[in-house]
Amino acid sequence: MGDRETRRASAWQQYCALVGKDIRQEIRTREMITSMVVYAMLVLTVYGAALSQVGDSIQVMSFAGGMLWALIVFTSLLGLNRSFAHETESGCLEGILLAPVDRALIFAAKATVNLVMLAVVEFIAVPLFFLFFLSGAELAPTWPLILPPLFLGTVGVAGVGTLLSTMTIDTRGRDVLLAILLIPVIFPLLYACVSATSIAFAGVAGTFGTYGTSLVVAGAYDVIMLAASWGLYEFAVEG
Amino acid sequence: MPSARDIPALAFDAAAPAVRARGLVKQFGRRRALDGVDLEVPAGAFLSIFGPNGAGKTTLLRQLALLARPTRGELSILGIDALAEPERLRPRIGLISHRSMLYGDLSAAENLAFFSALYDGEPQRSRIDELLRLVELDHRRNDAVRTFSRGMQQRLSIARALVNDPALVLLDEPYSGLDPHAAEIFDQLIGRVRADRTFIMVSHDLEKGFSMATHALILARGQVVLSAPVAGIDFAAFRDLYLATVGMGVA
Repeated sequence: MGDRETRRASAWQQYCALVGKDIRQEIRTREMITSMVVYAMLVLTVYGAALSQVGDSIQVMSFAGGMLWALIVFTSLLGLNRSFAHETESGCLEGILLAPVDRALIFAAKATVNLVMLAVVEFIAVPLFFLFFLSGAELAPTWPLILPPLFLGTVGVAGVGTLLSTMTIDTRGRDVLLAILLIPVIFPLLYACVSATSIAFAGVAGTFGTYGTSLVVAGAYDVIMLAASWGLYEFAVEG
Repeated sequence: MPSARDIPALAFDAAAPAVRARGLVKQFGRRRALDGVDLEVPAGAFLSIFGPNGAGKTTLLRQLALLARPTRGELSILGIDALAEPERLRPRIGLISHRSMLYGDLSAAENLAFFSALYDGEPQRSRIDELLRLVELDHRRNDAVRTFSRGMQQRLSIARALVNDPALVLLDEPYSGLDPHAAEIFDQLIGRVRADRTFIMVSHDLEKGFSMATHALILARGQVVLSAPVAGIDFAAFRDLYLATVGMGVA
C-alpha cells in the first residue's frame, strides 16, 4: 500500500482544491454573488423609502453605522445559507468527508470562500450606500476608519456563519434557524463594529478611545470564535 | 475497452479480512441503530447486505465508510484499526451511493480532478483519463454533470469512487433510480473493477444483490440475522428467510 501513502496530499493542496472548487462554481453560476448583490440593492431601496419622508431633518450620519451593518448582516445571512447548497445537492459533502481531509481544513476553506464572497458584495454595496445616503452629508475626514471594523466584522461573520450554516445543513427551516442562531452569537461583534463604524463616520474628537476599544473587542471576538469554530467543526460537519 | 486489470487496485494483506467488526453498536439518542454487529468479510469478497427499512444497513455502511464513529465496538478494515487510524484508511475506501456526490456545475473531468486533488494533492491526469474511458464518458469529459442522465451520473460516480484506487468499495443502494439498461451498464462496470477489491453493497433488490454476492448478510433491528457465503445457500431458501425476517415486523 506504499504507493497510496507516498502520494498523500498536503493540507495546503487540499485547501487550494476546496477553495478553487467553490470559486470555480461561483464564477460559473454566480448564484451566491448575484443573490447577495440583488438583496443588498433591495435593502438599500427599502432604506431609501424609509428615509425619503424624513428629508434633511434627520442626520443620517448619526445612524449610518447601524444601517450599514444591518445591510451587511442580512446580506451575509443570504450568502451563508447558499454556501452549502452545492454540497448538499447530491451528497457532495460526504464525498469530501470520505477523503483524508482534516475537518478543520474544510472549515478554513469554506470560511475563506464566504469571506471572499462577502468582501465582493461589500465592495459593491458599501460605495452604493455612500452614494445613496452619504453623498449629501458632510463626512468626517475619519470616515476611511470604517475599514478596520468592516474587515474584522466580515471575518467574524464569515467564520462563525460558516460553522453555524454547517450545523443547520440538515435541519428543517434552516434559513430561519441560521438567522436565529447567528444574530445572537455575533451580537458582541456587531455591537463593537457598529460602535467603531459610527465613530469613524462622525469623527467626533475624544471618542477615539472607544473606537480603539471596539476594535480590540471585535478582534478578540474573531480570535476566540474562529479558534472555537476551528476546533468544533469536526463535530458540526460529522453530526 | 479497458478491462478491470487496467485499473490496478492497491495490494493489501490477503491474510487479514477486509473488514472485521466486533460488537458494533451505534446509538442515536435512545434508539439503537446497530446492536452488537459482528462481521467478517474476507479480502476480495462481495458482501451484499439486505434488510428491511430501518434495519441499520446504511448506518452500518456509514461506519465502514468512516463517515460516522460507532458508539461501541471494534472495527478493523484492511488489517488497520479503523477507530484508531481512520486517516490512514480513508485513502483506501470508496463509496458509491444512490446520491452521485458530484457537483452539477462542474464538468466530469473537473469533478474527478477535484476529488483526485483531495487524495493526491495534484489531480492525476492519466488516471482521470483512464477512469473516464472506463466508464465510457470520455466524450463528455468537458460537459457539466448537470446535463448528464441519471445513468451517466451513476457511471461517473463509479469513476469518482475509484479515483483514489480503493481496496474496499462500498455501495449504498447504487441501483436506486436507474432504469434497467442503466442498471445493466452499471453491473458491467462493477464487473470490470471487481478484481482485487472487496465490495460491500447495501441493497433492497434481493435477487440482484444475491446474484452479485459471494457473501450475504441479513440485518434486522440492528442485529445480524444471517451472515454466510452464498455458495452454500439456495436463493429460494434465502428469500424465504429474508421474507420471514421482514414479516416479523422488524422494520
